[in-house]
Amino acid sequence: MADGAYSFSLTTFSPSGKLVQIEYALNAVAAGSTSLGIRAKNGVVIATEKKAPTILIDETSLQKICMLTSSIGAVYSGMGPDFRVLVAKGRKAAQAYFRIYREEIPALQLVRELAAVMQEFTQSGGVRPFGISLLLAGFDHAGPHLYQVDPSGSFVAWKANAIGKNFVNAKSFLEKRLNDEMELEDAIHTALLTLKEGFDGLVDEHNIEIAVVSDDKRFRILSPAEIKDYLAEVD
Amino acid sequence: MSISQYNGSAMIAMTGKGCVGIAADRRLGIRNMTKACDFKKVFQVNDKILVGFSGLATDLQTLEQRLRMRCNMYKLREEREISIEAFGNLVASMQYEKRFGYYFVEPVIAGLKADNSPYLMSSDIIGAQCFKDDFVVAGDTAETLFGMCESVYRPDLGPEELFEVLSQCLLSGVDRDCLAGWGATVYIMTPEGVRETHLKGRMD
Amino acid sequence: MSTASIAQALNEQRGGFDFELAKRNAALEGAGMKVPRATKTGTTIVGMVYKDGVVLGADTRSTQGPTVADKNCQKIHYIADNIWCCGAGTAADTEFTTALISSKVELHRMATGKQPRLVTALTMLKRLLFRYQGHVGAALILGGVDCNGPALYQVYPHGSTDYLPYVTMGSGSVNAMAIFESEYKDGLTQEEAMKLVHKAVLSGIFNDLGSGSNVDLCVITREGHTLHRGYDQPNPRRFRYPGGFTYTNGTTPTLSSSFTPSRTPAAVVGGAGMEVDA
Repeated sequence: MADGAYSFSLTTFSPSGKLVQIEYALNAVAAGSTSLGIRAKNGVVIATEKKAPTILIDETSLQKICMLTSSIGAVYSGMGPDFRVLVAKGRKAAQAYFRIYREEIPALQLVRELAAVMQEFTQSGGVRPFGISLLLAGFDHAGPHLYQVDPSGSFVAWKANAIGKNFVNAKSFLEKRLNDEMELEDAIHTALLTLKEGFDGLVDEHNIEIAVVSDDKRFRILSPAEIKDYLAEVD
Repeated sequence: MSISQYNGSAMIAMTGKGCVGIAADRRLGIRNMTKACDFKKVFQVNDKILVGFSGLATDLQTLEQRLRMRCNMYKLREEREISIEAFGNLVASMQYEKRFGYYFVEPVIAGLKADNSPYLMSSDIIGAQCFKDDFVVAGDTAETLFGMCESVYRPDLGPEELFEVLSQCLLSGVDRDCLAGWGATVYIMTPEGVRETHLKGRMD
Repeated sequence: MSTASIAQALNEQRGGFDFELAKRNAALEGAGMKVPRATKTGTTIVGMVYKDGVVLGADTRSTQGPTVADKNCQKIHYIADNIWCCGAGTAADTEFTTALISSKVELHRMATGKQPRLVTALTMLKRLLFRYQGHVGAALILGGVDCNGPALYQVYPHGSTDYLPYVTMGSGSVNAMAIFESEYKDGLTQEEAMKLVHKAVLSGIFNDLGSGSNVDLCVITREGHTLHRGYDQPNPRRFRYPGGFTYTNGTTPTLSSSFTPSRTPAAVVGGAGMEVDA
């Protein structure tokens, strides 16, 4: 980061003690398409809407869920380009960890790395905060994990959560259906139902994206064909 | 004179059945002058990890302190003890980081994995790992120690037998080494704990 | 270290080499101290292309001067599922260079979403090795199968590379090459290729002093890879004293002894109770 005399941080406290830039960043998140995640007993599912603004766009070229390590992946709500920056940094951090210990980075450690980057962008000169919140799914030595990371750099572990447009409704929908005994297959169904609930139009295998990580510790983005099968099951 | 002979050392690590051990001499010398007979070369990292260093004493202590910091940081950050596999790789990567200005130290790592099966690793001065299921040696007369271990070692020794084999291999080895000896310590690690025993050896 | 570097120390490894001790070590060497030598692989490593894939082969001896440091080390390293790499030279350099490139190839794979190509790994390797002007002592044989079919490359420590149908490197390379030169044919089957690579490595094991112990093979095809660790073990220990030497307990005179119990209880087996040795 440049540290010239005029490159002070844009994120400055308001007299009432708020960092309004961060609140604006959260507005950008809330305006983004809905993403959600559910932690089941034997795995985690994350899902998101992937609706193109116009039919002229080739939907197959859009990808909103990214793999960070073979057992960890993330989805976002907010500004897509900002997500790519964090994905690149997350993957690098995971590889740096692996090169030292020859062990995969635990989900929490990767969350910390990403949260540290996001925090740094609320305090550095010449930059703006990230306009995204992350939902990160992972399976490591301590079991399944679902984390949310916000533009401020704060992070929380969830049993189930939704971010982006409609997140209030989606969360109350999840609250009603969540139970501690839920298996991954049920969680995928619940994720689909939650997405459908708030979806503007008809859900099909091309306008949503789903990824899972189960106790085999392999993070996997489902193919449209697989999503189609799951959609048929919940109908 | 070689740097590995400046302070002198001899070290053996062996696996047993559900146990591992490291034996090291206690001499600290400056060339041919003996400075101390109670020099610590083996350290316990946690319940599952023993690490010994042979080579230049100043580097031994620096590397041990830096490793301890890294392990403490790991424990604070991850809220768990480092596994012996990760520890072995950490040591090697710390050594290789200094590939072009290295510590004159050969680490020997022995311990128990999560399922309490033995783990044994040694590394050269720049972090080339060598994983074994029987024994590893280090020190200025590694050859004599190799000879003893090759003939006396056998698999699946219990903790008491392992202690005797380690002790005899080390004592016989250092009897032919002017720069090592002057007391020895044997550490035997089992899932229940670590026994540290000082041997009565020749003091010449 | 200055006070600012406490923060640096806490940042731990930032990647790259650290030359903190380089001056001191050079001064010690200049003062006539002999510097201990790093472990070398010695090595016979070979690779060969056949009809549908690549076979890599290696011996398993590593040496420190004239002493055998490891009787069974692995010299065939993982780069990606479809790319493997044999390493000769300074053991740590081959180990860490291939691990670093493997890590970079994985990042590249995730960024592109495609199966990595050999030329990608090859270019990363040669750029790294050329940058260090041969001081990173890794001589490599890179083999695998990608969208262009099976391929084999030879990489020298200074960063030059060759693209060849059959390759040998390490101190036993001449011995292995003698076999290839007299017996290599285009379009061999997998079985014939494995046999020939096996024979080439054995030639190194039995005729080159820096090579020894076992034969490791790795076969890579379009379908995947198979690592044959200890494919052939022609040098088992010939004699062991029956029953082994036994020292009765109490043989070694001791001065003192202390016991530090584990802070965590011993492993619980099946949740039933503590495992206690009888």
